[in-house]
Amino acid sequence: MSAKASPGAPTRAQRALDKFHEEGSIGKAYDGRLLRRLWPFVRPHARFLVASLGTLVIIAAINLVRPLVMGDVVRQAAAKDPGRLLRDGLWLAGLLALSQLLTFAQMYAMQIAGARAMADLRTTVFRFFQRLRLRFYDRTPVGRLVTRATNDVDAVSELFASGALNAMGDIISLTGVVAMMLALDWRMSIVSFLALPVVGLIVNYVRTRSRKAYREVRARTARLNAFLNEQVNGIAVVQAFVRERPVADEFDAINVQYRDANKSAIYYEAILDASIEMVSTLCIASILWFSGLRRVGDHTITFALLVTFTQYIRQFFEPVSLLSQRYTLLQSAMAGAERIFELLDETDVTLPALPPEQCAPPGPADEAIALRGVDFEYKAGSPVLREVTFEARRGERIALVGATGAGKSTVASLLLRLYEPQGGAIRVLGKDVRGWEPQELRRQFSVVPQDVFLFPGTVLSNVAIADPQPDRARAEDALRRIGALAIFGRRKGGIDAPVDERGANFSAGERQLIAFARAIYRDAPLLVLDEATASVDSDTEARLQTALEEAIRGRTALVIAHRLSTIRAADRIVVFHKGRIVESGTHDELLALAGVYARLYRMQFAHEQLQKAERRVQGELTAAG
Amino acid sequence: MTTDTLAPASKLEAKVSDARYPTTLGGQLRHHLPKYIIGAFTLAAFQLAMNRIDWQAKGAIDIVFGASPGDAWKPAVTMLVLALGAFVARVASRWFVFNAGRDAEYEMRFELLRKLHQLGAAFYRKMPSGEIMSRSTSDLQQVRMLLGFGVLNLVNVCFAFASALQIMLTVSPWLTLACLLNLPLVTLFSRQLSRGLYTRMRENQASLGRMSDVLQANLAGVRVVRSFALEERERARFEAENRAYLEASLALARLRGSFAPTIGAVAAVGILVFFWYGASLLLRGPGAGGISQGAFFAFWSAFARMTWPMIAVGFSLSVVQRGRVGFARLRTILTAEPEVVDGPDPAPARVDGDLSVEHLRFAYGDHVVLDDVSFRVAPGQSLAIVGRTGSGKTTLAMLLARLLPTPAASVRIDGRDVCDLPLRAVRSVIGYAQQDAFLFSTTVARNIGFALDDPESPESQARVRDAAREAQVLEEALSLPEGFDTVVGERGVQLSGGQKQRIALARALIWEPKILILDDPLSAVDAKTERAILEAIERQASRRTVLLVTHRVAAASRCSQIIVLDEGRVVERGTHEELAAGGGIYAAFAEEQQMASELEQLDAPAAVPEREAAAS
Repeated sequence: MSAKASPGAPTRAQRALDKFHEEGSIGKAYDGRLLRRLWPFVRPHARFLVASLGTLVIIAAINLVRPLVMGDVVRQAAAKDPGRLLRDGLWLAGLLALSQLLTFAQMYAMQIAGARAMADLRTTVFRFFQRLRLRFYDRTPVGRLVTRATNDVDAVSELFASGALNAMGDIISLTGVVAMMLALDWRMSIVSFLALPVVGLIVNYVRTRSRKAYREVRARTARLNAFLNEQVNGIAVVQAFVRERPVADEFDAINVQYRDANKSAIYYEAILDASIEMVSTLCIASILWFSGLRRVGDHTITFALLVTFTQYIRQFFEPVSLLSQRYTLLQSAMAGAERIFELLDETDVTLPALPPEQCAPPGPADEAIALRGVDFEYKAGSPVLREVTFEARRGERIALVGATGAGKSTVASLLLRLYEPQGGAIRVLGKDVRGWEPQELRRQFSVVPQDVFLFPGTVLSNVAIADPQPDRARAEDALRRIGALAIFGRRKGGIDAPVDERGANFSAGERQLIAFARAIYRDAPLLVLDEATASVDSDTEARLQTALEEAIRGRTALVIAHRLSTIRAADRIVVFHKGRIVESGTHDELLALAGVYARLYRMQFAHEQLQKAERRVQGELTAAG
Repeated sequence: MTTDTLAPASKLEAKVSDARYPTTLGGQLRHHLPKYIIGAFTLAAFQLAMNRIDWQAKGAIDIVFGASPGDAWKPAVTMLVLALGAFVARVASRWFVFNAGRDAEYEMRFELLRKLHQLGAAFYRKMPSGEIMSRSTSDLQQVRMLLGFGVLNLVNVCFAFASALQIMLTVSPWLTLACLLNLPLVTLFSRQLSRGLYTRMRENQASLGRMSDVLQANLAGVRVVRSFALEERERARFEAENRAYLEASLALARLRGSFAPTIGAVAAVGILVFFWYGASLLLRGPGAGGISQGAFFAFWSAFARMTWPMIAVGFSLSVVQRGRVGFARLRTILTAEPEVVDGPDPAPARVDGDLSVEHLRFAYGDHVVLDDVSFRVAPGQSLAIVGRTGSGKTTLAMLLARLLPTPAASVRIDGRDVCDLPLRAVRSVIGYAQQDAFLFSTTVARNIGFALDDPESPESQARVRDAAREAQVLEEALSLPEGFDTVVGERGVQLSGGQKQRIALARALIWEPKILILDDPLSAVDAKTERAILEAIERQASRRTVLLVTHRVAAASRCSQIIVLDEGRVVERGTHEELAAGGGIYAAFAEEQQMASELEQLDAPAAVPEREAAAS
C-alpha cells in the first residue's frame, strides 16, 4: 500500500498537503466572463471610471510635452534669450505640478469607482448569505464565507486601488514616447530602441520568475500563519504528546521555504530594478556615442535634442517596469472574482412564499400549529423524523419529551421553516408554512433556545433583539416580570452593560434569563422553548422556572421539556422516540402506559436525584470548609 | 511487565538548544554584521559607479559638442562598463541587506515558536491567541522592515549624498545650494506621510476587522437571525460597517494619492530652480564663471538621483520607529517565563508506572479547583475519575502530566516527585489525551500518527490503521475522499464531533506511554461504538496504567477502581459494585445511565395521532 519513502522525496502526507494547498495557485490574468459579471457593480459608478481614464490620457499627453520644454530651456540658454528662459522654466514647473495634480485626481476617481463598486459587491454577497438555506451552512465553514466577502473582494478591488486599470495609461505613454522619439530623430531612436529587445528579454525572464516567487511567498505566508495559529490553539496537545521538537522541525521547514521564497523574490526584484536602470544608462551611453559619430560631419544634433531624448528614455522605462507588476495584481483579482461568483452561483437558496393554490388546505380556526405525516432527514439515508403528526390548539401548552436525538428540536426548526421536510405538511396558525413569507412566519414565534446566542451589544439590545430602536421601559418591564431586572441592575452599566462576542461575559443562567425576557418583549403568539439542561445552582434553577412560567403565560407554548416540573405542568405531553411520536397524553395517562414515557420519567427522576445529591455534597463541603 | 527506557537526550536536542538565535535588535544586528558590512560596501560601490557614470556623461557631452566629437566612444564605453558594475553592486547590496532582514525574521520566528512551546496555560490565559498571532505576524514584519529596508536606506542615503554632492558641488556650489534648499522638505513630508499612512492603514484594517466581526456573528448566529427574523437589522448593521470601511479605504487612498503630488510639487520647485538658474549658468559658459553643457547634464543626472534617497530616509525613519515598537511587543512573548520547568533530577532509566497522588491541592488564584485529592494506582491497574463538568477532573488529569504547575511533592511516579524530573520525561511517561478533540489541519494519517517519530514508514502506517480500527474509525477514514491522506480541518473535510473524537482517541491509543490518561474520550459516540472502544481500552490497560476521566458509568465500571470528584474533592471511592450500591452520586449516575440505555434499546410502535381521524 505504501512504498518506502526515499530520503528527499516528498512523503505521502507532504504530497497530500501540497495537493491540498494548491488551491488558486495559478489563475488567468484576463477572463472576459468574470469582467462582464463585475461590470454591473461598476456601472453605477462608471462616470468616475470614465473621468479617471480620460484624465489618464491627458496626463500621458502632458508627460510627453515635458521633455520638449526641457529641451527648449536648454535651447533658449544657447540662444541667449533670458526672457524665454524664464517663461520656459515656469512652463516646466507648471506642467509638473499639473500632471501631479491630475494624477491625484485620476487615481482618486478610480478609487471612488472601485471602492464603491466593491462596497456594492460586498452588500450583494451579504444579502446572498441571508438567502442561503440553513443546510448550506451545515456543510460550509463560516470562516470560508467571511473570506469571500472580505479578502476576496479586497483582491478584486486591487484592480482599482493599485491601478491595474492604469495599465491602459502605461500603454498610451509608451506609444506616445516611441512616437515622439521617432518624430524627433528617427536614427537616434533606432539606436535607443536597440536596447529594447534586451529589456524585453530581461523583464520577461525576471518577471515570470518573480511572479512564481511571489506566488510561493503568498502560499507560504498562508501556510506559515495557519501553522503557527494552529500551534497556539493546539498547544496543549503538542505539550501533552511531547511533540515540540518534531513540530518545530516541521515549522522550520515551512519557515525556511518562506524565507527562501522571499529571498528569491528579493533577488528578482533587485535584478529587475537594477537592470532597468542599467539599460537606461546603456541607452544614454549609446546615444552619446552615436551623437559623437554623427556630429563629426553633421552639426544638426544639438544639446537640447540630447536632453529631450534622455528624458524620453527615462520616461520610457517607468511604465515598462510597472506594467509587469500590474499583471500579477490582475491575476489575483481574477482569482478573487472567480471565487466570489462561484459562491453567488450557489443555488441552495430560500424559496419565496408559495401562492395559496399550491399550499395545503387551511386548518381550523383554533389551530395554532399542526404537523401532518412529516418526514425529515438532514442527511440522505438517516431519517430524523418519520410520519410525525400532532397539533396544538391556541393557548395550549404542549411538552415534547424524548431522549437526546429523538427529533424534538427538529420539530421547532421545521415550524420556523428553517428546513424543508421531505414529506408531509406543516401549518402555523392554520396556514401552510410554505404559504407564509418566511420573515412574517418567524415573527409569529418567540424562540428560547437551549444554548442562547447573544449578539455583541448590550443587555438591552439583546432583549429587544429585533427592534432597531429598543423600547427601554418595555425591556425593563420584561426583565422585571421574570424577576431578573435586579440581577442585571447589579452589573456595571445595568441593562446597558456590554455583551461580548457570543455573550462570553454572561453565565449560562444569565443568558437564559435574557432569552426569556426576549420572548416577553417580543410578545409573539407562539412560543417555542427548548429547556436548558445545563446544570445550574438551585437559586438560578428556581429563577429560571419562574421566568419560564412568565414567558409561557397567555401564549401557545411548545416546550421541549427536560425538567419533571415543566413536563407535569403541560396540558399535553407528546413523546418522541427514534424520530416517531410513540405516545401522547397527560402525565398520569402516560405513566399508566408503562412505556417510553414511564422510562423517560424514571430517568429524569434519577437525574434530578443526582443533582440533589450533588447539591447536598456541596452544602456539606461548604459547611465543612 | 515491560519496562520503558527513556531515550537519552538525542542529537536533535543538542542541535535545538545550541541553535539559539539572538532575540534582541542589537543581537540580531551583530549576528548579521558581515552581511550588513558587505551590503554597505556594495552600496558604496554602487554610488561610486553612479558618480563615475555622471562624470563620464559630462565628458562625453563636452566631447560631442567640442572639437573632436568622434572621440565620444571612449567615455561611452566606460559608461557601459560602469553601468554593468553598478548593476552588480546594486543587486548585491539588496541581496545582502534585505536577506539579513529575512534571516533575522526567520530566526526570530524560530525562537518565537520555541518559546510558545515552553509557555504554559497561565500565559495563554493572559494573552489571547489573536494577540499572539498579531505579534508574530505584523509586529515581526515591522522588525524585519527595520532590519532590512530601514538599514539599507539609512546606509544608502549617506553614500548617495556623497556621490551626488561630489558632482554637484564640483559643478557649482551655488547651484547646489539653490537646488537643495527645499530638499529637506522632501524628507520631512515623506516622514509625515509615512506616519500618516501607517495610521490610516491600521484604521483601515480595524475597519475591515469590525466588518468581518459583524459578518462572523451574523453567519455563526444564522439560526438565531432566521428564527427571530432579524435580517433587516443585520443588513443595516452590516451596511453601516461596509460604509465605514468604504470611507476608511477612501481616506487611505486620499493620503496615499497625495503622496506623489506633494513630493512632486516640492521636487518640481527644485527642477524649476535647476533649469532656470542652471540654464543661466549654461548661458554664461564655463569661461565666464558658468558651466559647460556636460556639467549641466551631469548635475541634472546627479540631482535626479538624490530625490529617492531623500524620500526613502523619511520612510526609513518611521520604519525604524515602528520596528522598535513592534519589537517591544514581540519581546513580551520572547522573554515570558515558562511556569512549568524541568526538575533537577535526571530522567529515570526505567519506569514501572506506579502513580500516587497525595494531598493534591490546586487553585487558580483564589478559586480552589482541587483540594486534598489522594489516590494511588499500581502498575497495570486502571482508575476511573468520575464527576460532572466543573468538578475538577480535567485539571487533575493535566496536573498529573505537569501540563499545569503541579505543586511539589504531590504527584509521584514510582515514588519520585514529578516536579524533580525533566519535563519531557514526565510527559512521555504520563500521556494525557485531552478532552476536546483538537485535530491539526493535516492528513488523517498524520493526525493519528501524531506521536510517531517516523509517521511515513510502512510500520507506522500499519500502526495508524490498527489504531483507527481500535478506535472504531477505520471504515469512516477509508471512506473519506482521499482515505487516510484526506486533509481535515477548517478548509479541509469537515468531520463530525464523533469522528473527530475517535480520531483523537486513535491518536492517544497509538502513543503507548507507560501511564495513559484519557480525558472523556467517549462523550460523542453511541453506545455500540462505546462498547467496542472500551474493549480496546481494556486491551490497552492490560499493558499499561490507564486513567479514564469520564462521566459514563459504562466506562468507569470496567476500571479496577473509581474515584468520584465533586467540587475538587474526592467524595466517593471504591469499585463499581461498591459505589453502585452506595446510594451516592455514583449510584445516581448509574441509575440515570441505565435508564438511558434501556430507552435506547427500546423499540416502541408509533402512536396513532388522536385527532387524525377527525381531521382527515
